[in-house]
Amino acid sequence: MSNLLKKDWFGLGLVIILGSILISFFKPAFISPFNLYVLMLSVSLMLVVAMSQMIIIAIGQMNLSVGAIGGLVAISFTGLMEVYDLSILPAMFIGLGIGVICGFINGYITVKTGISAFIITLATLYIFKGMNLGITEAQPFYEIPEAIKYFGNAKIVGPIPFLIIIPVIITFLMWVLMNRTSLGRYMLAYGNNVQSSELMGISSTKIVVYAHIISGLLAAIGGMLVVCRLQLGTPNIGDSWLLPSFAAPVIGGAILAGGKVDVIATAFGVLLVAIISQTLVIFKIDPFFVQIFLGFMILIAVFINRYREYREDRRNKVFSNE
Amino acid sequence: MKTKIPDFVKTNQFGLLLLVIVFILLFTFTTDGFSSRFNIYALSRVVAIDIMIGLAMMVVILTGGLNLSLGALGVSAAMFGGWCMESMGIPISISIILILLFGSLLGWINGYVTVKTGVHSFIVTLATMSIYFGFMTLLTEAEAFRKLPETFTDFGSMKLFNKYISPLLLLSIFTCFILFYLFKFTDIGRKLIAAGANPDAAELSGISVNRMFIYCHMLSGFLAAMAGIMLTARIGAAIPSMAGHLGFDWLLPAFLAPVIGGTLLSGGKVTVFGTMLGAMLVTLINNGLYLIDVGEFWVRFFLGLILLFAVLLDRAREYFTSKNSIVS
Repeated sequence: MSNLLKKDWFGLGLVIILGSILISFFKPAFISPFNLYVLMLSVSLMLVVAMSQMIIIAIGQMNLSVGAIGGLVAISFTGLMEVYDLSILPAMFIGLGIGVICGFINGYITVKTGISAFIITLATLYIFKGMNLGITEAQPFYEIPEAIKYFGNAKIVGPIPFLIIIPVIITFLMWVLMNRTSLGRYMLAYGNNVQSSELMGISSTKIVVYAHIISGLLAAIGGMLVVCRLQLGTPNIGDSWLLPSFAAPVIGGAILAGGKVDVIATAFGVLLVAIISQTLVIFKIDPFFVQIFLGFMILIAVFINRYREYREDRRNKVFSNE
Repeated sequence: MKTKIPDFVKTNQFGLLLLVIVFILLFTFTTDGFSSRFNIYALSRVVAIDIMIGLAMMVVILTGGLNLSLGALGVSAAMFGGWCMESMGIPISISIILILLFGSLLGWINGYVTVKTGVHSFIVTLATMSIYFGFMTLLTEAEAFRKLPETFTDFGSMKLFNKYISPLLLLSIFTCFILFYLFKFTDIGRKLIAAGANPDAAELSGISVNRMFIYCHMLSGFLAAMAGIMLTARIGAAIPSMAGHLGFDWLLPAFLAPVIGGTLLSGGKVTVFGTMLGAMLVTLINNGLYLIDVGEFWVRFFLGLILLFAVLLDRAREYFTSKNSIVS
């Protein structure tokens, strides 16, 4: 039990459960099937985006271009189907391929030049977004195959959308990657201390490039999921991903210096953000408040993490005195 | 190695100055509209604000951090100014002082939270960016202030030097000189740089690093508010969307100018005039891209490429200078 209490996701889970009970007590509409459906849809999309950012936070970097990759893939995916009459599967694989290439570019340049990933991904953000706008001239693609529209709208059972399957699988795979594979452990080791991980014989190039490739791949999947949901490919897909992509991992207790991320807590972070946004909508609060709220939540999470670190430090000191 | 090269020639600024001149000559001879009075006047108005934005980012990069909330902060300050002048009828000079204080206050919040939590300023300013922008949109209801005092807007459209140059540019260059003086010759400026270069050493020598970092953030807020005022004067109205959603349109020029100018991202080194030249170069290239007609949508793409190219070049320069210093 005390082990459970120490987990990052435990407190979050408690807040989510208690909060949900409280909200549904005041507004029964919160647990209406339609509301749950909308909630799960937004969780599905943000889960993938948050994972895409989380893996870069794990290695102690940041990826500003997540949204730009998602947008570029979304319009390439739909553009290939509409303009070049490609069927869904090849278009999908090309889309994933573009995500991988974008991620590779980010990772390769970052690790080879040693320039901070922030600047590199800021530059590639503009490059990818510029390509997106250059190709589309800011016009959306409307002709989406019926199969994709169906996939975006269908429900498995009750209010559970079909779309949620992919993010759930991805979350599971990410958990396996970070907790059960040597690659995931190496990434955390690299994020914790670059020098000592190199001394251990871990190749920096491999770790950074792989992390960015996975990030690009997940951003690509995120972009295509948005296409399924919106039923069109607009150039502004991904524009609003930046804040939530950092919010979820940080609320989930990720340390931005790298070396510590928690997949389950990140997923809970996504859920918490989605529930709060949804609640504000139910209570008919101005949508701009959602943004302010998100900002405050990040700050609060940062303060809580700081406090926990401080407490842990003190406890360690007590032990070392004994 | 016997030929004596003046130190100035070897600096990054000199290379930038050459580039700026080369680009001016290139555009003058290859395009029609570049050297027209209209275009140069328009350029001077744009570059004035880009310099200010670049400086605002530069003073935070000095701490080894960054300020994502720059655009949101600048627009919030500008909207506050619009409210002061239009709704409250406060005289212009007092309004400007209030705006600058307001900007410094928002910068102080950034600095205080960063220092107190020990979290990288990226995440703090990411949060405050959405908070500032959200509050600004809520309070203004996304409405612009369009009936500003005429003396104020006239300043933005004033033309000096045979109608070639906007007074806004002079203001920016003047600010550059003041900052140069601050960092080069004053006690506090040296302390700011020392704190950024090596916080531990600075702390040991009796400098309060936390306070210095908060000062940097306040200065950043001050300069961003300044950029906000100038943009308001230029447009002739305070518009909530004038820096794009969440103020994101300011971010690229904000980073391009100091990075091209040779400011170290790891902190501890500032180049005021490098930032100024960097902003000029970016504005020139931006203007040139429109003049040679690459298409409005591709401009962003090329600016991204230029940032990438600039940091790579900077890296190469660092690599070769370190190699040379080992040899000698």
